[in-house]
Amino acid sequence: MGLQHLPEELLTLLEQWPCREQQLRQLSAVLSPKLPSPHAVVVHGPHATGKTGIVRSHLANSKLKHAFIDCRECVTGRHLLERTVAVVHNAVTGDANSLNDRCENVSALVVNLQRLLDGRGKFALVLDGVDKQREPSPTLLPALARLGEVIPDLTVVLIVQYPPPRFLHQTGIPHTYFSPYTRNQSIHILSQNAPDIFIEPPPADLEYDEDVHQEDKAWLWPRFCAAVWDSLAQNAARDLLAFREVCHKLWRPFVAPIIRGDFGTRDFSRLLVAQRRLFQDESVLLDSVVPAVALPSNVRREGHELPYYAKWLLVAAYLASFNPGKLDALYFMKTTERKRRKKGGGTARSGGGRPSQNRKMPRHLMAASAFTLDRLMSILHAILPHDLRTTIDMYTQIATLTSLKLLVRGGGIGSSDPSEPGGKWRVGPAVSWDYTQALARSLDFTLIDYLAE
Amino acid sequence: MEYGKAYVFQPSDIRPAKRRRVDTQGLQASWRRRREAYTKAWQAQQRAIDERLSSINAATVSEVSAFLDEAISSPQSERIPTGVILAGYGVNSHSSIVSQLARRKSADEDGRQIYVTLTSAYGANLKALLKSLIQRALRRQTGLDDDEEDPPTATARRGPRLLNYDLQLLHDYVREHKLQQIVVAFEDTEAFDSDLLSELIEMLGCWHGRIPFAFLFNIATSIDFLQQRLARAAIKCLDGRLFDLAPAGEAVEAVFDALMSSGAPLWLGPSVMSILLERQGDYIQSIDGFVDAVRYAYMSAYYANASTQCLESSENLPDDHCEALRNLESFRAYAQQMLENKELLRLKDCLESNQSLAAVTSLRITEGQRKLNDMMSALSTLRKIQEVLPNMSVSPRSSLYVQAMSGKLHGSTLLRMLLLTIRKMPSHVTVRLLEAILAADSLDTYAQGVCRQLLGELNEILGSRNDPTQPLRSEDDVQNSTLRTTVVAQKVELSKHKAALSDQDKAYTQVLGRLSEVLESYFEETLVNPKDLPFHEVFVYDLKSPHREVFMPRPRHAIERALASPHDYLDCECCEPDRGERDEATLSATQPATAVLYQLYLESGSLINASDLWQAFQAVIGDERDESQTMAHFQRALAELKYLGFVKQTRKRVDHIAKVMWRGL
Repeated sequence: MGLQHLPEELLTLLEQWPCREQQLRQLSAVLSPKLPSPHAVVVHGPHATGKTGIVRSHLANSKLKHAFIDCRECVTGRHLLERTVAVVHNAVTGDANSLNDRCENVSALVVNLQRLLDGRGKFALVLDGVDKQREPSPTLLPALARLGEVIPDLTVVLIVQYPPPRFLHQTGIPHTYFSPYTRNQSIHILSQNAPDIFIEPPPADLEYDEDVHQEDKAWLWPRFCAAVWDSLAQNAARDLLAFREVCHKLWRPFVAPIIRGDFGTRDFSRLLVAQRRLFQDESVLLDSVVPAVALPSNVRREGHELPYYAKWLLVAAYLASFNPGKLDALYFMKTTERKRRKKGGGTARSGGGRPSQNRKMPRHLMAASAFTLDRLMSILHAILPHDLRTTIDMYTQIATLTSLKLLVRGGGIGSSDPSEPGGKWRVGPAVSWDYTQALARSLDFTLIDYLAE
Repeated sequence: MEYGKAYVFQPSDIRPAKRRRVDTQGLQASWRRRREAYTKAWQAQQRAIDERLSSINAATVSEVSAFLDEAISSPQSERIPTGVILAGYGVNSHSSIVSQLARRKSADEDGRQIYVTLTSAYGANLKALLKSLIQRALRRQTGLDDDEEDPPTATARRGPRLLNYDLQLLHDYVREHKLQQIVVAFEDTEAFDSDLLSELIEMLGCWHGRIPFAFLFNIATSIDFLQQRLARAAIKCLDGRLFDLAPAGEAVEAVFDALMSSGAPLWLGPSVMSILLERQGDYIQSIDGFVDAVRYAYMSAYYANASTQCLESSENLPDDHCEALRNLESFRAYAQQMLENKELLRLKDCLESNQSLAAVTSLRITEGQRKLNDMMSALSTLRKIQEVLPNMSVSPRSSLYVQAMSGKLHGSTLLRMLLLTIRKMPSHVTVRLLEAILAADSLDTYAQGVCRQLLGELNEILGSRNDPTQPLRSEDDVQNSTLRTTVVAQKVELSKHKAALSDQDKAYTQVLGRLSEVLESYFEETLVNPKDLPFHEVFVYDLKSPHREVFMPRPRHAIERALASPHDYLDCECCEPDRGERDEATLSATQPATAVLYQLYLESGSLINASDLWQAFQAVIGDERDESQTMAHFQRALAELKYLGFVKQTRKRVDHIAKVMWRGL
């Protein structure tokens, strides 16, 4: 079948959604306003393959009455049901008010929909991302897929990412697969609208008019996209959105030499070599809350300093988490000070430097182990250079550190109750070796002397 | 009675024998007046503090508000505009930032922006958080809405009642009131569960196209930590900008600035102040706690010290108050001094007549307050001089205050160094210094006059010199002298040789000498020891004890000590330790069972066999009692130890209990 057999409106859709011809044909067959439709349709495929957009524009184009529900916005299963009724009601009657029914469960949904859709003709109900629904009841999906069996003229379209086999407990439901875009397809889609090379028009005496600019950027952009795909995106940003984002992020630094006038617009290969550093830097793939460019140099990325005893507490907690409990007597008792200091000189039993038979992982690379609060307090007393009068402030300090997730409750039953005697704690994931080392340095404390190998 | 579920209480008509003492007597009689005086004094102080504190972060607040306005005027991306505020350890400082923002907005705009504050305590799941977010947003009737409107939860939309966590509610509200921005401020970002926070951000991100959100995150650690905790999809929803608040130390300085310059009638002494400062640096970093502690000091000064009534007015002092004044340590010293000065009549007057005592008191108090005020302005002069001098760090107000109030600043190394440096200054620094001093106008009139004169002389000398580009050097400057070593009879002799100085340099050195003399005498005069001022107990509050007990109690230590030596608390004859022994705790059958068991507990290892413990307990209590009674005591004591959290059951061995707490931590 060639393109000439397609109806007119499908052709416009194809222009809007390139590389999706097969899926459009399937959809137009199952969701046609004239032909009979199956009672349920599953549209599936990975992230950013145009599922939602194509279903939406196809339905809008085909003049079929429909309702569209984004399941990500529904907080509970009941929320989804109530929403469905409201949206269907709105779509059928075109009036947002005057409906006053609750909809607690699927049975109520069936009744409501039956009443609403009775004799109204063909209707499509699209549930977008229904597999990502929060707190769904186990029967929700199969029940939704059977809605069309109970209510004539209703077609339920389920848009999911990865349908597990038999997830609807039903066979014979047509599935439409949206395959991920290949390299050529991605580049083709991206090159539909190329961004400008020159933001400000170049000086008039260069005789560089808008037409040439259009031509140049349409020439340069696809080549650039291909380079980005080959270097970065094919491994780490395969989906279209991520790929597009990376391309747009790199575009302005990439064309900067052209704007400066170092290269011509068609010197792609020389430009690529000159700018190869851009394609090697993988930090562009990472997202961040605060974009690195927007960060003024005088603002610290690190937060404010902690109070004095909070620092000591964190150092003690780190030691308690990463030292085995049985070595505490060796490391923290004042009497064993001399034995411990064997690191530099070595004593008689230091073993001549032969590597041990079983290799051990460095402790700081392993997960933090849990400790009791009393152990933390005794280590704190042992490492403090002066005497400590434990007041209520110390317990407040522990509570504050816990609320900052620098200390976390962990391990054992009943760990959610902070007043449980002998409750266990551990340092939070943010308290890493480097962080603690920096803290210890600010306290003038040699952490390494107290840390078991 | 035991089986009845309820009974009717029938009070007898006889009033209880013990009555409350309503009318206060003695020194307490003036409490009401002192409370008024306190309120007046503290209100002025609080106003000064608030003013200083709000001006600290004024720049950041306006930056944040400009950022939010920009997000309104040019909504550019699908990402939610996010202000990340590095607020530091104390959470309180941030809440004031958000409220400052909200106040500012509500003042100058017509309520097209609403602020919703979320803390982690509002809910442990998405539903609860959304519910409280919506409720808080709808409850705020911003702008000029009249009160006769429907309750805010019911919008104009008719039809099905939406679930109360449905953001559609908020959407309708936004559309109806034409709101331009909803600012969601996360107070304690770190305390939120990571997954929950990510989920919430994603959820609000879904609605961002319809509801114009903006976020404010308050973080105490670092931005990287926040980023680690959020899901990738959540990070994609955020478009952040970083803002920094002033560190906590600066806020303390601001409070000191207010305390020093507000001219309050009461001063805090060095020991109470150093306790406050130490605690602030060691443990807490929220400035509100510090201000509260200062306020508590004011309260305890006014409420507990009857003589503070003289701060307000010393007229109509009751007799007992006068007697209290005469018993003050400083009044005795003052009387002694009068005796030595042979002012017998005045002394007699003070001792006998209440009226003249009141007059003298108010006079001396005013004088003392004036002296302390002078001292504070001397401190700011000192800081000003430090600012002008190169290579000199400016000491923080707090440490200067503590040093000055303890009377140690005069003659300290800090001051000596300062004066020595002044003697070595080159001329351009001197000109700047003199101008700064004259501009500040904090010296007394004599010193001010001398300084003005010196500046005139200096300008004359500077005008007459040959090489105007080179500043004049002082004779004391090390650069102008060289050390020479000569060997005389196998001994090395060091001798200083001054380089040849011009006449202008010599004249300049004289000017510097006079300047340092003037400053020295000025500091000597103003930096008085507050302890030497008569009636200093009235206007300087310096007691450590209530602060320690109130702000830094030691609950664990108190329990442990009470259990270890119950005699100290019960003071009964039966458990008194023998004279011969030191006051170490001894076991005896008369002590409470829990205390006995606790002392046995201290002696054992980390796992305790319950049967052994019972036998030891029985041996201590003695055989004369009934075994079942002893057992009851034992079980009760063990249950109490368990309740206090000293022991717990262990799964390692069934018949053992595990020791959970060690003593002295």
